[in-house]
Formats: sequence, structure tokens, C-alpha cells
Amino acid sequence: MITKQLIDQIEGEASIFFDIKDNVVDFATIAFPHFRGIESILKGKNALDALVITPRVCGICGHAHLMATVRAIEDAYKNAGYPIELSKKITIIREFTLVMEIIQNHFKWIYLTIIPEVAKLNNSTKVQTPLKGAYAASIASKAIAVFAGQWPHSSYMIPGGITADPTNIDLLKAESYVDELISFFEKESIGVSLDAFLSFESCKDFNTLKSDFSYLESSLMNIKMNEKGFAYDRFLVIGTHTFSKPSKLKQTRPFSIDAKYVTTVDTYSPDQASYAKNAQYKNAFYETGPLARAMAGNLKIVKNMHRRFKDSAYTRVMARVFEVATLLEHAKELLSGIDISQKSFLKSVDISKITARGVGVVEAPRGPLLHTVDIKDGLIQEYKIVTPTQFNIGSSTKTNPTPAQKAMMKTTQDEAVFIFRTFDVCSVCTTH
Amino acid sequence: MHSKQDKKPSIIWFQGLTCNGNTHSFLNLENLKNLLDKFEILSHPSLPSTQNFNTVLSCTLECDIFIFEGAYDPLMKRNDTLVSKIVEYYAKSTKHIIALGSCASFGGLFKASAPDRNSGLLFNEQEKSGPLLKYESKVINISGCPIHPEWLAYTLHMIAKGREVEINKLHRPIELYSTLAHHGCTRNEYFEWKVDADDFGEKEGCLYYKQGCRAPMTHSSCNKILWNEVSSKTRVGTPCFGCTEPDFPRQNLFATKTNMSIPEDVPIGIAKRSYLTMAGIAKTFHIKRLEGKLIDYKTAD
Ligand code: SF4
Ligand code: SF4
Repeated sequence: MITKQLIDQIEGEASIFFDIKDNVVDFATIAFPHFRGIESILKGKNALDALVITPRVCGICGHAHLMATVRAIEDAYKNAGYPIELSKKITIIREFTLVMEIIQNHFKWIYLTIIPEVAKLNNSTKVQTPLKGAYAASIASKAIAVFAGQWPHSSYMIPGGITADPTNIDLLKAESYVDELISFFEKESIGVSLDAFLSFESCKDFNTLKSDFSYLESSLMNIKMNEKGFAYDRFLVIGTHTFSKPSKLKQTRPFSIDAKYVTTVDTYSPDQASYAKNAQYKNAFYETGPLARAMAGNLKIVKNMHRRFKDSAYTRVMARVFEVATLLEHAKELLSGIDISQKSFLKSVDISKITARGVGVVEAPRGPLLHTVDIKDGLIQEYKIVTPTQFNIGSSTKTNPTPAQKAMMKTTQDEAVFIFRTFDVCSVCTTH
Repeated sequence: MHSKQDKKPSIIWFQGLTCNGNTHSFLNLENLKNLLDKFEILSHPSLPSTQNFNTVLSCTLECDIFIFEGAYDPLMKRNDTLVSKIVEYYAKSTKHIIALGSCASFGGLFKASAPDRNSGLLFNEQEKSGPLLKYESKVINISGCPIHPEWLAYTLHMIAKGREVEINKLHRPIELYSTLAHHGCTRNEYFEWKVDADDFGEKEGCLYYKQGCRAPMTHSSCNKILWNEVSSKTRVGTPCFGCTEPDFPRQNLFATKTNMSIPEDVPIGIAKRSYLTMAGIAKTFHIKRLEGKLIDYKTAD
């Protein structure tokens, strides 16, 4: 018998249809019901208007969409014979605001989603502190707003640069928000200094901690999430950034990649209409997001966890927490590399002179985000968006399940729902 | 209409066709806890709630404030229940309806998902013809894409105190939407003396003449109640896109529409001829301070 379970309190809404046999999940399909048609809304519009429209695909990662759009348009400029050279300052500031958006996402996920859910599965009565996540996220958003004017839904990245022209006062302000976040993270989240946390090499190092993080870690162990939730043990990173290298990994073996091998197909969702797609690389499923980035980036502690617990739900959750740590440190480095005397914007020809296709790829909080735009005389002919949740979750058949479907198999329904959430589900992006 | 001290007003926050942007903007509120402590959250897309979502859908609850985020699509279903049925049920039984964001207020961006049927709760763009016409007196529109968290906090605090939120013709609180986004912009002096920004990425110049700034035609308090307590679009050189107005999103957002190099739209309430006379005079002056760089760094390049 198929039972339907509604998943709310994710980004948007999803339904999972479970086929339970002998008390464990035999198979599950997933439906994402709400469709907004952003790609067709964009058709016929001035290509620059996409800088305002695409951030509105998603309230939690709109900045990643903005960056994918700006990269796609700049790629179209290049393909039309007008390459744009960005100053170092522009690149760094864009990276900084993207990094802060990933951090705000992870803080919300840790405190509003994963700790409360892990507590439920542990029948724990621990007092929940979801607002810690909102607080930390709001500080990260302030750091974004210093350069981007506001978060969510900024449009400060434009082909050729950024609209802002920051001063040293702005830089100091951004630095102080990052410092505030680091001390919050040390005091409230991990219970040890950021440096010490980043020097951890083995899970045994966690035993000394008493913090939200150690609670999460031991609770995951307690419900044996280190033995469950395995996907394909294949990872994919496509966006090129100061904090990530494109690579495809089979277990720990890296291979080079090219975004042109990404394809999408309709999902298999027999019990409810779904507007999601399945995204694949060379026709195979890969897991994307923080765990993939940590594996590709050779992060010692995560590789260590992976050696012991493979791509279990435990490793997936821990990789997200560690990404907060590595990105906080990286954010500081980025800020220290900004030379405010460099140009914020380099003028190129008017968009109406551009007829070309452009592809923009970025690493969003949940993994690679691809925008492809076809421009004719400055107007959008075609716009296509592929999102990380289409790689991780989608919905396929039993013989060829998506990473999330595979990870839910052979667990109880409650565990399966938890494992589903370890992928940090974004339904709004998926169906855009 | 004082609410009793012992019972906190209850809130159901419900979503139509949305990006979750208002939800995430709200989570940025300073002292979020102080506000939440004054209410009982029956249901919210991401905050801890006392009721589960299926109970909300069963239409058996009562709430004091019904917050609706996103565009209204009469055919949309949440877990097999028509949104139209849910909206009708809560609109009838609740005391206050807040249409949160430009989609819920006027249709906004996601009106374009199905332009013939989608709308805001009370308005379809400018026109008062939405599904909640019957409950008009309960509806407060907080437009914006997204809303500023303080705008919602203000409205909720007023309701909690039992004070009336005065609204205008478009059902927006007058304390938030009587000013223009232009009020308080750090580029105001450039606007006065008609010094336009040469290009993006500069501290100097006003974005009204070339870069498409809609702030003089947009009701909001973006440059007064700063975003994330830090800044605003125009302060970082991004033109205002007029996201609080019923016609958002317009087209060609990064360029000013002009007729013979005169902006097509002039600031609200100013006759075009008066504007042009004033602009013409201002342009005859050459003010060195406003024409050069604001700050001269000793640069390497
Ligand atoms: S940039 Fe926009 S908000 Fe600022 S002064 Fe000019 S018109 Fe007003
Ligand atoms: S400045 Fe304009 S576009 Fe930006 S949030 Fe305010 S009203 Fe919306």
C-alpha cells in the first residue's frame, strides 16, 4: 500500500509516497506540486531584467540565482565577441556575498530544521532554540546588505561588475559582522574556537565538546544515522569559486567535468503531478552540496568521516556544519583581499548589441545551479534553470532511484523523512 | 477592541504561490523573539508552530490574524485542498487579514504565472477585484518584494495593542507608505541639482535619469527604515525597481524611459511642466563639488 506524507517546513512543500514492506521503505516517490513558470515569465524580456526576476525564484538562495544570471549574461557577452574582464575587487565582493548567503542558509537549516528533527527521532525533550538560527542568519544578511543593499532579493550584481562602490567604512562594517558571526558560532554552536574546530581531524575530537554541535553529533550517532541514508557515494561540484573546484567524484576519486554534460529529464511521480525534473551528469545521478564540496576540496575531517561512515546521513549533516566553519574563515580572507581603489563596474556595449547564448554556473547552498540564457538583440529568447535539488532529490524509478530516493530505502518511514531533510530540500527552487 | 491580556492573538501564516522571500525577510527582524512572544503562532512556514499543517488545511481552527504570502491562484491546492477554500474559511472567521508582499497585495511577479486567473487577495494590480472583496474591511496590504521585516512587525504590534492601523486607498498602512523610496536616499543632493550618475558602480550621481530609479514614483520607506538595518538599493547604486507598487515588475528595469531625453515619469504629485522648469534651471548651474569624485583616494591605478 502506498502512503502519502506531506513534508512542510522545508522551502516550499513536497509529498513523499511511501511503499512500506516489512516496516521499512521499499521505495518512495516524491512530488513537488507548485509551479510558477519563471522560465516562461522571462521570455521576451530585456536580458538585464533577469537580474531582478531570477532572485525571486527563491527566498533563501536568491543571491545564488542572481550570480548565476550575471555569469550567464557575461558569458553571452563573451560569446558575442565582447569579453568582460572583472576586477579582483568585483570578483571578491561577489564571492563574499554568495558565501554569506550559504552561511545564512546553513544556520537556518541547522537550528530550524535539523536539530529539532533529530530531537524528535531521539524522543529528546531538549529545549529547542530555533531563533538562534534566525539570529545568525540575520547577521549574515547584514554583511550581504553592506554591499548588496539588502537581502533577500538584491540585484546589485550586473554584467561588468557590481552597482556598489564601497568605502573602508563598509569593509570594516562587513568585517565586524563576520566577527560577530564567528563568536556566535564559537560560543553557541560549536563550543570551541573556530581555529581549533577547523584543526579537528577525527570524530573523536568532538567528544570533548559540550555544545549544540556536540548534541547534534551524538544524537545522530544515537539513532545510527552513520549507518543509514547512503546515496551513490558519487559527488558533483560544478561551480567555480574561490571556495570550490569543479569536480566529479566516484567515492574519493576525482575526475574533471564539463557543465555541458548536465541534462534534465521529467520525474517519475505516478501518484501526484510534480513539476520537478531530474538533473543528471552523463545520465547518472550524483549528490551535490556541502558534502560534495568538502569531498572535492579534500577537507580532512569530512574525508575522515567519509572513510568510516561513507555518504551516510551523518556525514551529510556534519559536512554542512563544517562548511559553515570553513566559509566563515574564508569570508574573512576574502574581505582582507579587497582593494577599494579598484573599479566596481566596467562598461561594455549595450545589451541590445548582444545576440548569443550564455551559461552561468554557481555553487548555491545545496549545490550547482545552472542558468542558460539565449539572447537575441538584448532580449531573452529562452531561459533554462537547473537547480541543486533536481540533482539530489527529483524522483525516479525503483531501478534507477535519485540520490534521495536511494538514501531513504530500507529505513523506517520516520527515518526516511529525516534522511530526506538531510538533503536540505528546496521545493521552490526545484519547481521554479 | 482590546485583546485580553491572558490570551495572545493567534496567527496563521499561509502561503500561496510564492518564493518564500517574505518569510525569510521576516526572519531577519531584530528582536524577533520580542515580537513572537506577544503572539501564538498556530502555523508558520518555518517557525515552530502549535498546530500541524494538515489541521490548518482541515479548516477547523480559528485565528485572530491570517497572514497570506504569495499570489492567489484559485486553482492552486495545498496538499489536495483548494487554496480558495482555505482562504475563504479563514477570511470569514479571522479578525485581521494581512496580504504580505506584493504578490499577495496586487498579484506581483507570480501573477504572471497565470495572468488570467492569478491576483492579490483584494487587488488585481490597481483594480479592487480580488477574491476577498467581501472581507475588504479586514484586509491590510503590506506590499514589497519582499516586505521589510519592520513593516510587518509594526503592523502586528499595533494589532496586538488593539490599536488601529490606518490604511490608504490601496489598503497600505499610511505610516509606511506615505513616504517615497526616494526620501532619505544618500543621492538626494544629486537629484536636486540634476547631476546624473555616469554609470553603475559609483557613489556619485542620481540614478533617476539613466539607470531607471523608480524611487520618486514609489511609495515605501526603504531609505528611512534601512534594509537589514544597514543600507538600501539606491545607497549601493542599484536603481529602485518600484517593487511595492501594483505595477511591479515593470520592464526594462535598468534603464530610464525617456522622451527626447526627458524622463517619462516624474516624481509623484509634481506636474511635468513644473518639474521640467525646475530641472532646466538646476541644470544650468555647474557645481564642482557634485561633478567630481566625492572621495579622492590616492590610487595606484
Ligand atoms: S537614486 Fe533614486 S532614490 Fe536616490 S536620489 Fe536619485 S531618484 Fe532618488
Ligand atoms: S528601493 Fe524600491 S525596489 Fe528596492 S525594496 Fe524599496 S521599493 Fe522595492
